Amino acid sequence: MNVGLTWRLLRGGGRRGMLGTWLTLGAVAVSTALLLFAVAVDFAFAARADRGAWRNPVAAGSRPAVAVEASRHDYVRGREITVVDLAALPGRSPEPPPGLSRFPAPGEVWLSPALADLADRLPAAELAARYPKRAGVLGDEALVHPDELIVLAGRAPDAPELTATRSSDWIVGSQPVKVATLAGEPTEDAEGYQVLALIASVLMVVPLLVFGGAAARLTVARRDQRLAALRLVGATPGQVVAMTVAEAVIVAFAGALAGAVAYALAVPLLSRVRIDGGPWFVADLWPHPLVMAGAVVAVPLLTGLSAVAGLRRVVVSPLGVAKRETPPGMRWVRLLALVAVLAAVPVVSRGDSAGLIAVVIGLAFLSINLVGPWVVGLIGRITAASARRPARLLAGRRLVDDPRSAWRTVSGVALTGFVAGFLGLLSPGTLVGTQDTGHLRVSAPAGRAATVAQEARDRLRHAGVAAAVTTRKDVVVIALKDATRITGDGARREAPDGPLLRAEPAALDRARTALTGLVPGRTPTTQADDEYFGGEILGDIAVGTVVVLSVSFLVAIASAGITAASSVLDRRQTYALLRLAGTPLEVLDRARRAETLIPLAVMGGGAILVGAFCGIPFMITDPNLSGLVTLVVCVAAGFAGVVGAGALSRPLLRSVTADPAPRPD
Amino acid sequence: MNDVLAGRALTKRFGQTVALAGVDMAVRPGEAVAIMGPSGSGKSTLLHCLAGIMRPDAGEVRLEGTRIDDMGERRRSALRRTRFGFVFQFGQLLPELPADENVALPLMLGGVTRAEAVRRAREWFAPLGLGGMEARRPGELSGGQAQRAAIARALVTKPAVVFADEPTGALDQTTGHDTMRLLVEATKHNGASLIVVTHDPGVAGWCDRTVEVRDGVLLAAGARA
Repeated sequence: MNVGLTWRLLRGGGRRGMLGTWLTLGAVAVSTALLLFAVAVDFAFAARADRGAWRNPVAAGSRPAVAVEASRHDYVRGREITVVDLAALPGRSPEPPPGLSRFPAPGEVWLSPALADLADRLPAAELAARYPKRAGVLGDEALVHPDELIVLAGRAPDAPELTATRSSDWIVGSQPVKVATLAGEPTEDAEGYQVLALIASVLMVVPLLVFGGAAARLTVARRDQRLAALRLVGATPGQVVAMTVAEAVIVAFAGALAGAVAYALAVPLLSRVRIDGGPWFVADLWPHPLVMAGAVVAVPLLTGLSAVAGLRRVVVSPLGVAKRETPPGMRWVRLLALVAVLAAVPVVSRGDSAGLIAVVIGLAFLSINLVGPWVVGLIGRITAASARRPARLLAGRRLVDDPRSAWRTVSGVALTGFVAGFLGLLSPGTLVGTQDTGHLRVSAPAGRAATVAQEARDRLRHAGVAAAVTTRKDVVVIALKDATRITGDGARREAPDGPLLRAEPAALDRARTALTGLVPGRTPTTQADDEYFGGEILGDIAVGTVVVLSVSFLVAIASAGITAASSVLDRRQTYALLRLAGTPLEVLDRARRAETLIPLAVMGGGAILVGAFCGIPFMITDPNLSGLVTLVVCVAAGFAGVVGAGALSRPLLRSVTADPAPRPD
Repeated sequence: MNDVLAGRALTKRFGQTVALAGVDMAVRPGEAVAIMGPSGSGKSTLLHCLAGIMRPDAGEVRLEGTRIDDMGERRRSALRRTRFGFVFQFGQLLPELPADENVALPLMLGGVTRAEAVRRAREWFAPLGLGGMEARRPGELSGGQAQRAAIARALVTKPAVVFADEPTGALDQTTGHDTMRLLVEATKHNGASLIVVTHDPGVAGWCDRTVEVRDGVLLAAGARA
């Protein structure tokens, strides 16, 4: 009977009641779609790490070795190419690497589709000539992302590429390693990305949960008087709770399904976001069906729980809601929770457990949410006490009357302030490297620099590349002659081999191609090449920051809009009577704005500071201008977004106050 | 004596329904008039037209000789705030504000400073039997006390006319009786006129005269015996 009554309550809410229901459904849909994105990001990075593991060899150790593998990096047109050299050991028949139908024979090369395409488009002397004897194309299983440039070269086990010593710095490549399988293990940078993704997920998921909870309580806010009336006529607390939960869950389930569909439609667009050198396979961003099902089930359940929390006042004291008595003040002990978590941040961040760090950041986030309503109530008391005009008095009294509701309006942007504060310190400025592409350098085996330099001269002359080849200790330096001098910022920097030069990309790639294999296992690189990974990681952090902030802002502004509209619906009787007695609409609007902006200014600023405090231990560069700009843009966009979202509900306010004969519900 | 408020040939339709069909009604200064009639007769619509809440489709409304029905919403809103007072059946007090600030609000909206507005608002509490309840919120007042606070709020700006829509509809008989007595006495004491919409003859009995509306037409007018 409860479900039947619930269904009648849901459908019987009238046009405005249904509007509230649609708002809730929309809020849950947005939450679910973004929640799926936040979760899918972790699975996507894990999938990338797994697919890239085969070129990060693990020494066979006590197991019988079957192959020898090494990797290094080459470059074309400013993009990185991963070069994997692989040989089966004599008498062994190892399984082929993922994405290959058979183990590569000595001398043949397999290119990734993007590299094969590029090799076909560029003149052979600039790329294709580096990789003769193409045997085939690598399958997707071998690729981290669809645009990855990778070449797998089959070698004999005693080939110079697999016997010469290489640098052990992962930025340059990996030493030849005898392996028992080609399973490998995720690289350090892949694991680093997974940690960053986990932190990003926490930063996105917490406001989403708060938003979802707020959406659930919107349903309750619209119903609480009616349900209080049910309690007054004898409904048991259990019946009231069951009806509320059923109503919230029905709406949330529909919203969750809509959110899942919205996410599915957005995946092709999301897959174009470039991180770690390229876009995504659509399948990577598509969560496992169990995860998808889990979200569609968990979101309505969480919504139901949130509805129960929101209904506590009705269940405990039906008269409290029906008669609108003074709400009990919130306890300052909420502040202690935040202080305790902040005290833990410097201690925990000394450890290397990414999971623990993510938990502490999540707790800091939740603590802000816990302390938010308490601070809003305090601000309300101060505002009301100091108010001289009606709008501020109304705003202050409303903040005191229902600080939780006021917090729901601003919590999204305040929590985004936390994200901005946290990421503002992490966000790197533009990495201004030397950007020198006019000099190629390669280390020669000890004592052979002169010989290697002479061979380089011969090869370059034969390829028609004008260059001056010199040696500096064991390093052979090739200065391209048609390169132009770099002016501006870069010109002020010192380079080890003369002024900074920028080569024509085509000439540079001709030189690279001509010098391929000059020193087995080593790639001649420019200074810009050596700066490639540093720039890429910092660039990825910047992209990640923008993604996380975009998601947070979307949530925050949607949250502000929905709660503002809901607040108008909830207070429609009060607003209508005020206008009827001659209160100008502008005063009501000013009161609504003050009710939002005053706590937003205080809590937004506070959250930014807390976020910055939590971010300090993770700083990898000094705070910089771009981080500051991110913060300022956040604050400005947050205020503008909330004011804009609030303004959107003005026609609704005009509509509900135009009713000359307001009724309680 | 000139009428303080006068409606002439007031007509109002809601779709096919005729709520007012050419109603004439005038109120003299200091006069208390009851508008009676069954549900749906048009009595609340008449009050809303006279109070400038609603514009009639035809006819005119004059306050102290000045036509008000053709004013824009902003001017009518200002008029309601300064020249009219309102008492409704329920819900007119803001639940967030304590009683004294509820009463002071119309003064503050008119530009009076908060301290002065609250001081003047509190002067109404003792005479209306609300002494000591200035800091209570509406939810902490009884129905009768809340209506007395609403009366204070309606009168605090010294209006020309007070409009009351079923002011005792949510009260028991004794409380309703006391509330009506206070409403009429306080209104007259301040030199204001009173227009009360009610379906209760006991309430109408407190007024100087009663008019009856049925199907949008003013049927009869009678003076109190």
